[in-house]
Amino acid sequence: MVLGIMVLIALALFLYERDTVGFYFLYGAMGVGFFVLATNLLSMIQKEGRQDD
Amino acid sequence: MIELPPVLVYLLGAALIPLFGRGRARKALLVAVAFIGLACSFSLRPQTSWVVPLSGFELTFLHADRLSLIMGYIFSFIGAAAIIYSLDVVKENGEYICGLLYLGSALGAVFAGDFFTLYIFWEIMAFSSLGLIWYSRTERARNAGMRYILFHLFGGCAFLAGIIIHFMNTGNIAISPIEQGIGYLLLLIGVGVNTAFIPLHTWLPDSYPKATIAGAVFMSVYTTKTGVYVLARTFPGAEAFIFGHPFHFVAYIGGLMALYGVIFALMQNDVRKLLSYHIVSQVGYMVAGIGIGTAIGINGGIAHVFNHILYKALLFMCMGAVIYRTGRMNLTELGGLAKRMPVTTITCVIAALSISGVVGFNGYVSKGMVIHAAELSHMHILVLALTLASVGTFLSFLKLTYFTFFRHTENDIARVKEAPLSMLVAMSLTAFLCVAIGVYPKMLYVILPDVGAAMHYDAYTPGHTMGTLQLLAMTAFMFVALKVLIAPHERITYDIDYLYRKAGRGIIWFCEKPLMAFAGAIDGVLKRIADSFVWFSRNPVAASVILLTATGTKLMRPLNYVSKEAEVKRLTIEEPRERLSIGTGVLLVLIFFLVYLIVMLIHGWLAP
Repeated sequence: MVLGIMVLIALALFLYERDTVGFYFLYGAMGVGFFVLATNLLSMIQKEGRQDD
Repeated sequence: MIELPPVLVYLLGAALIPLFGRGRARKALLVAVAFIGLACSFSLRPQTSWVVPLSGFELTFLHADRLSLIMGYIFSFIGAAAIIYSLDVVKENGEYICGLLYLGSALGAVFAGDFFTLYIFWEIMAFSSLGLIWYSRTERARNAGMRYILFHLFGGCAFLAGIIIHFMNTGNIAISPIEQGIGYLLLLIGVGVNTAFIPLHTWLPDSYPKATIAGAVFMSVYTTKTGVYVLARTFPGAEAFIFGHPFHFVAYIGGLMALYGVIFALMQNDVRKLLSYHIVSQVGYMVAGIGIGTAIGINGGIAHVFNHILYKALLFMCMGAVIYRTGRMNLTELGGLAKRMPVTTITCVIAALSISGVVGFNGYVSKGMVIHAAELSHMHILVLALTLASVGTFLSFLKLTYFTFFRHTENDIARVKEAPLSMLVAMSLTAFLCVAIGVYPKMLYVILPDVGAAMHYDAYTPGHTMGTLQLLAMTAFMFVALKVLIAPHERITYDIDYLYRKAGRGIIWFCEKPLMAFAGAIDGVLKRIADSFVWFSRNPVAASVILLTATGTKLMRPLNYVSKEAEVKRLTIEEPRERLSIGTGVLLVLIFFLVYLIVMLIHGWLAP
């Protein structure tokens, strides 16, 4: 819920008010959060073991 | 000065390699080829052309304009760097031959003035690069090579079909934007395979990590960038109409590639697989720039090709040096190399900062140009995707450099030596250019396709610089805070190729089981028909009598209680054979044709 609200705030700022002080700090934090979340979600459907074919 | 197509230098070099043994003479030849090729590319002037008439076509083997020249400069420069890098690593002549053929054919493709010449070099690139994978001589490499060439043959077929349809429609073979239609779609698929469009990208992260150490450096440069170059020639600003509104779909494909590549790169443990996914991501920026289609967009896309070739080749060189010295390629097995391999570490950090778009490095200049072009075209979603991808890229390279060079480890690999001198020379030269272009971007601007638009772009505006610094500083802070979540794992990663392989196995099962059973059944029926004809032709009169008797017996069965079927079956054995004379046979054939002619006259030609 909190994450969703933060994403919406970041998106709104991105689209309409990128000059806000500290916007890019917020966006960087959101970006890292997005990637950590995405990779961990994808990891759940991956097999553990030595990387090979 | 004579202006030669640079491809000739490399093809000649490849032909001469076997004559020079494996010692210093070969090294001298390779260095000579590298520098003559470089001189040849830099001596070309715009509007130079070499046209060869062939079977009614005019094949243009050299067409130099600002777009092909910038590609020629960077291809031959990095080719020279890769050759120097490989001097102490490559042992087999065959690998050098493949490398030179690959480099030469890539230059042949970018200087081609017509689609047929381009196609020829396009295919030579595919097969010569296959050699760079197979020279690893491992089973993984063999299998990956097979998948690689299957993908490229599919792309090549689509590309050729698109060219033929375009030629049939327009009668023009000059490389130029394509009119919409089936040829447009096929050509886009063909280019899309080489450019690693999602979902046609799987050959790239599958095969590049399995190539030889020097081979991966060559491969990181040419195939995808040639694809981007052809995209710039044929699909700049390509639009599709959705509900009557124009949609720059190629630009958004670029945005998708940028994000997709980064997400999968972050999950990798194999260092070269991580870099391979970043090729997909960075090519996404180039495709986005080309897809936007404005002067600044195309400049940005091509500037990113130029810069990306520098830092990506450098990254593959650095990781190649690490693998060469340690024999390990997974992040979980590496660490603590900064003290033992300081030059490799410094050059790798420069490359990592460049690809991440850190202020002062070349990636910052071209990435900013593409994002600026998207902003000017009011493509907010694309700007969002590309900015987000740059966060992921920095995160990914913090992970790569930290876990390879700076993480403390008790591993025995901490006792390895620095890379050989030839490797260090190539890496240092390339790293120098990454910094030089970042600090003084005008040296790149003057060779971009639209020099006027490029000169108006200011990479170092306070807003852009401060915004980038804030973004990357927060990313670095978050990396430190969430390092545990981002740490590498020994994990098998599935991409869309998982579905392809499942589908491939399904197709093989379908071919081996139901399709073969169906083919067997058809084969049986045809054999029976053929046997019947053979049986009939042995004695047509007797066979006719037998058939008539058999038919009559079957018809009379309801009236005649006693069955004569067994007697009829024996007739074939008991009947003496009667042979027709040749004259009778000819007469029968003539009668058949006469009947056929009569039928044709009545129902065919004379019919109203």
